[in-house]
Amino acid sequence: MSGTGSPQPLNGRWSPLVTVLAFALPAIFVLAPLAIFLVYSFFSVDQGQIVYAPTLANYARFFTDPVFLPVFWRTIVLCLSVAAISILLAYPTAYFLTTLEGRWRYALLMLLMVPLLMSYVIKIYAIRSILGLNGFLNKALVALGIITEPSTLFVFNMNAILLTLTLLLIPFAILPIFLALERIPQVLLRASDDLGATGLQTFLRITLPLSMPGVASAASFVFVLAIGDFLTPQMVGGISGFTFGRILYSQFGTAFNWPFGAALSVALAVVVILAILAGERFGRNRGTSH
Amino acid sequence: MLLKKLLLGIAGVGLGIGLMASSALAANLRVLAWDGYADADWVKEFTAESGIGVDVVFIGSDDEIWAKIKGSEGQDFDVFAVNTAQLQRYIKADLVTPIDLSKLPNQKDTLPRFRDITKVSGDTKDGKVYGVPFCFDSIGLIYDTDKVKPAPTSMSVLWDPAYKGKVLAYDNGEHNFSFTALTLGYKDPFNLSAEQMAAVKAKLVELKRNVLSFYTTADEAQQIYQNNDVALIWANYGQQQVKALQKIGAHVAYINPSEGALAWLDNWVISKGVRDKDAAEKWIDFMLSKKVSGALSERTGFGNTVVESSSAGSNDKLVWLNNVEDPTKRSDLWNEIKATP
Repeated sequence: MSGTGSPQPLNGRWSPLVTVLAFALPAIFVLAPLAIFLVYSFFSVDQGQIVYAPTLANYARFFTDPVFLPVFWRTIVLCLSVAAISILLAYPTAYFLTTLEGRWRYALLMLLMVPLLMSYVIKIYAIRSILGLNGFLNKALVALGIITEPSTLFVFNMNAILLTLTLLLIPFAILPIFLALERIPQVLLRASDDLGATGLQTFLRITLPLSMPGVASAASFVFVLAIGDFLTPQMVGGISGFTFGRILYSQFGTAFNWPFGAALSVALAVVVILAILAGERFGRNRGTSH
Repeated sequence: MLLKKLLLGIAGVGLGIGLMASSALAANLRVLAWDGYADADWVKEFTAESGIGVDVVFIGSDDEIWAKIKGSEGQDFDVFAVNTAQLQRYIKADLVTPIDLSKLPNQKDTLPRFRDITKVSGDTKDGKVYGVPFCFDSIGLIYDTDKVKPAPTSMSVLWDPAYKGKVLAYDNGEHNFSFTALTLGYKDPFNLSAEQMAAVKAKLVELKRNVLSFYTTADEAQQIYQNNDVALIWANYGQQQVKALQKIGAHVAYINPSEGALAWLDNWVISKGVRDKDAAEKWIDFMLSKKVSGALSERTGFGNTVVESSSAGSNDKLVWLNNVEDPTKRSDLWNEIKATP
């Protein structure tokens, strides 16, 4: 691919090298580290020192210890919820964007992407001061008379993580859905209209099915990003919002048990890979149907 | 991570200015320190005086220092700050280098109890000095004077159902086991038997029901205090935390509990992989100057080892932090406690 595109004949000499690089770089920077951490997951730790003898103890511990599996499932449910809520909010937004004309459409899209330029930590700090018992959200709700006393519903628990992750990750849901919606040929919508379909029928039968690949990739994006996050749960999760990412993080920082952390990462990686495959497969099936 | 980068960036700006002035050619001194131990103006002054450039990385927990130093076998940093309890672990793992006190003229002018380092438990091994005391403080209890009456005298107030959801605790298994052991009246909070460990664990699960959140940095605790109804804070950052809270107008006070307050003593330590030992010793000596150590207490409220400060009351019972019997075990149990619904 790199060789055929280049206009100069000299480059022909270099093309094998380029090809080797194209395969070597991912192999060195992606596959090798992944392989190393896979190997580490079969080691163990004794008195703060890593013991380089293969063992399955880490995996056995993950499946038998009463701590890890419940937290693991709880985290998956949490991240699925984040993905679902993000899509419910992102879909109307993306749909609205496609109804806009020319310049406005992209100006607004850019505005929605601006939060991605800000520091992750600063955003979490900001959200935390909004969520607190005396935070902006509670003050506003009390001032509006919606609630009489500040609510603890969104203070240092799973709900707080859910809300924060949704807020942080929603741009990643808007973008793929917007791109999928934008790719739908206008002629299809006009044809549907000509054939007497109502707006709702057109949406349900043409727009929605054709945008599903976008929804699928949005869902897998958000889910994967959410499940890998340990900072948000750490900072807004309090005592009840204990997630898998926090356990994983503690294995590298606090416990200095890299092998066990690696084994937990493998479990997480399996889920992530499944999520990506699901997003990919679902997206492609629908995508090729038109 | 990003916050750390920001801090690094700020330190880097100071460093850049210093470098331009000194035209240093040698590699920079790599310092790993707590926030407040290597302020930008000190770094700048040190570079101006010695011609040695400095890169500072700030850390947030003891565990992070261990992970960083152990992870690189001591090669990534020249000099770092670590407390007496932790230091033995580094000596045992051969990650640190003995310090030549004759290179530290300022060390002779430290306060009496720190002058003879061989008498400071944990700083020496086989007659060699590995740590130079720099800073200490107790880990007491901050209480809101409007909400907590009468003033508490013991950590047991943290379990008082009256303060359900109003307690801020610290996210560290080791310390939480130690202070709970003291609260339960155990003699040696750093070496718990299996039954004691189980009792402490049960007690901590109970504590969790009273806790609003577990914090890791003082800034974080302050932000949570400002936006929530907090009555009691287990003050890992002691005086520093009280000062910061009082500055923003909080009505808070601080006590060292009667059962004994855990207290830490931080030391400057030179790593195994030090590139320029002279430069590292110059840094430590500079830190022990009256000016820097005095400013340290003024700015942070911590006790320093050179100038008398008000942070340690003479009647308060302080329990110097020591090695715990099994850090990994405490860490695992702490995860179990946090995962308990």
